[in-house]
Amino acid sequence: MVIGGGVIGLSCALELRQRGYEVTVLERNECGGQASGAAAGMLAPYSENVESPDEFFQLCLQSLQLYPHWQEEVKRISQMSFEYTSSGSLYVVYHEADLLALEGRLHWQRQYGSTGAIIDGEELFRLEPLLSPEVRAALYTPEESHLYAPDYVRALEQACRNAGVHIYDRLGQVDLLQWDSEVKVSTENGQHFQSDQLLICSGAWAQQTTEVLGLAFPIYPIRGQICAYDRKAHPIQHMVFSSQGYLVGKENGSLVCGASEDIAGFSTEVTERGIERLKRWNKKVFPKLDDMQPFHRWAGLRPSTQDGMPLIGRLSGERSRIILAAGHYRNGILLSPATAKLAADIVEKKDIAAYNLAFSPERFVGLGL
Amino acid sequence: MDTWKIGNRTLHSRFFIGTGLFPNPYVQQEAIRASGAEVLTFAIRRINLEQTEDDSILQHIEPEQFQFLPNTSGARTAEEAVRIARLARASGLSDWIKVEISANERTLLPDALETLKATEILVKEGFTVLPYISDDPIMCKRLEEAGAAAVMPGASPIGTGLGILNPYHLGLIVEEAKVPVIVDAGLGTASDVVQAMELGVSGVLMNTPVAKARDPIKMAQAMRVAIEAGRLAYLAGRIPKKKYASASSGLEAFKLS
Repeated sequence: MVIGGGVIGLSCALELRQRGYEVTVLERNECGGQASGAAAGMLAPYSENVESPDEFFQLCLQSLQLYPHWQEEVKRISQMSFEYTSSGSLYVVYHEADLLALEGRLHWQRQYGSTGAIIDGEELFRLEPLLSPEVRAALYTPEESHLYAPDYVRALEQACRNAGVHIYDRLGQVDLLQWDSEVKVSTENGQHFQSDQLLICSGAWAQQTTEVLGLAFPIYPIRGQICAYDRKAHPIQHMVFSSQGYLVGKENGSLVCGASEDIAGFSTEVTERGIERLKRWNKKVFPKLDDMQPFHRWAGLRPSTQDGMPLIGRLSGERSRIILAAGHYRNGILLSPATAKLAADIVEKKDIAAYNLAFSPERFVGLGL
Repeated sequence: MDTWKIGNRTLHSRFFIGTGLFPNPYVQQEAIRASGAEVLTFAIRRINLEQTEDDSILQHIEPEQFQFLPNTSGARTAEEAVRIARLARASGLSDWIKVEISANERTLLPDALETLKATEILVKEGFTVLPYISDDPIMCKRLEEAGAAAVMPGASPIGTGLGILNPYHLGLIVEEAKVPVIVDAGLGTASDVVQAMELGVSGVLMNTPVAKARDPIKMAQAMRVAIEAGRLAYLAGRIPKKKYASASSGLEAFKLS
C-alpha cells in the first residue's frame, strides 16, 4: 500500500507491481496534482549539485542513468508518450571570479560521468545565440536532460493502472490507524484499507501522515513559483541555469522559468512579487524576454528536509512495516526511478548499497538516552 | 557586557556566519537566528547585485538586522578582488569587504601576495577590510600594518572541517595582533570553536559546518554556545598543565584527628 499519488508514489507502485506485488495507491486529491505536476522536469544532477559528490549526488546521478530505460518502460506500459529530451545544460556566470568555482566543480564532476566543459565567447553564443552579452562564461554539461513533468506523471499513472495497480484518489486525508501486526488506514471520505507493508510517499504532507507515529520527520513545504513564456517567439536550445534561477524550453512551445523558494506554509498562491522577481532576472539571462509577458504562472510545494536529503528507508522496531520515500525537494522528478528501485529493494528486504544509509528516515531521531 | 569592535561598529556576537550551502531558505533563516550572528557573509559573484532584494539568498534576510560582509571569493588576483569589492559597495550592500583571493581550485588557499595588494588598495579607498589569510603570523602583521580592520586566518582549508591544524601559529597571531583576529575557514564542530576561542581569537567565521550538518539549526546553536564557552574559558584563564596529580581536597583533609 502506497500513500501519495505523486511522482514518487506512482514510480514506487509501478516498480513494485513489475516485481510482482499487489499494490494499492491512496491519493488525497488527484495523482500528480501537487509538486509533481508543477515541476519543470529537469534531469540535472550536475547543475543541482555544485559542491561535492555526496550521497545525494550519487543517487541523482544513478537516477539520471536509469532514465533512458525507465522512461521507455513507462511509455511502453502506459501506451502514452511524453517529451524526454537530452538537451544538455548551460550553467551561466557573470563574473570572472565565478570561473574558479566552475573549474572546481568540473574537476570532480568529470570523475562522475560529466563530459562538460567551460565555454565562452563565440562558442557559447553559437550554442545559445539569444544569451545576454553580459554572460561571461558557462559550464556546458551535455549529459543533462529534461522531460515534460505533467505528461510524465500522467503516463506513470496510466502505466500503473495498465499494470494492475489499484489507484484510489480524492480520498481526503489518510489516517494511519494501526501498524504493528498489519497496517490499517482510514480516509476522510470513510474508506478503510489494509496491507502488510506501507510506503509513505506523501511529499510535503509526509509529516502529517506520520505524526501519529510519534517520531519527528522534518519535512516541510517550500513553495516554488514558476512561469512560462512563448518559446516560439524566443527559442532556446538548452536548459539554462544560474545562481538565481533556470530557464528551459519545452516541445509544447513553452519556455518555462523558475523558480522561487518561498517560506509560505502550504499556500500554493502565486504572488506578484514572486513572478516579477523571475521576470526581472530573466531579462539578464535573455534580454529579449524583457519585451515578453509570461502566458502562464503557477506554484507547487517542494517537500524539503532538514539536511537537504530525502528520507528513504524502513522504520525500525514496531514500526517496521512502514517505509518512507519522501522529502525529495527540488529533485523528485529526477529521483523517481532511483527511488522506485531503492524503495522496492527495501520492500523486498534486499541488501542496499551503503551510501543509501544517508537517507535513513530515522537519522533525525534521538536515542533518548 | 563582553562587546568588541570592528571599525566603528560594536559587536555583541562573536559568530560570523556564511549564508551559502543551506538545504533550503527555511533552515537557513532559522539557523541564522539560532546562531545569534550579527555579521553575515556571502560571495558577491553569486548575488544579484542590481536587485539585491530579489536575490535568491538575500531576499530571505532582513538587511537592517545584520552587518553584511560580502566576500570576493573566486577572485584570483588583487585586481579582480578590488573590482568586485567596488561592485558590492556600489550596490549599497556594505562597505565591509572580506578579501578572499585563491589561486588553486582544489585547496582554495589564499594567495598572500595578492591579498596584501588588494587590502592596501581597498583600505585606501575607505573600505573596512577583513582579509582571509593563511595562519601565518608575519603575514597577519603585514595585513594589520596595511590597515586591515581585522585579520582572518584560516584554521584549515575552506569547507574541510579539519579544525585547527596549527594552534601554535594561531596563538602567536593573537599575541601579536592589535586588531581583532577572526578564525575563518576549516572549523568542523563545536570543539574546534572552543579551541579557537580559548586561544584568544575575537571571533569565528563559519558556513559549511553549520549548513551541511544534519541539523543545521541545532548546530548553529551548538556553535553559539561553544563560542561562549571558549570565550569564558579564555577570560577565566585555564590552569597550567602538570605532570602529576594534586588532589583537589588536599591530603590533610583525609587525616583522622
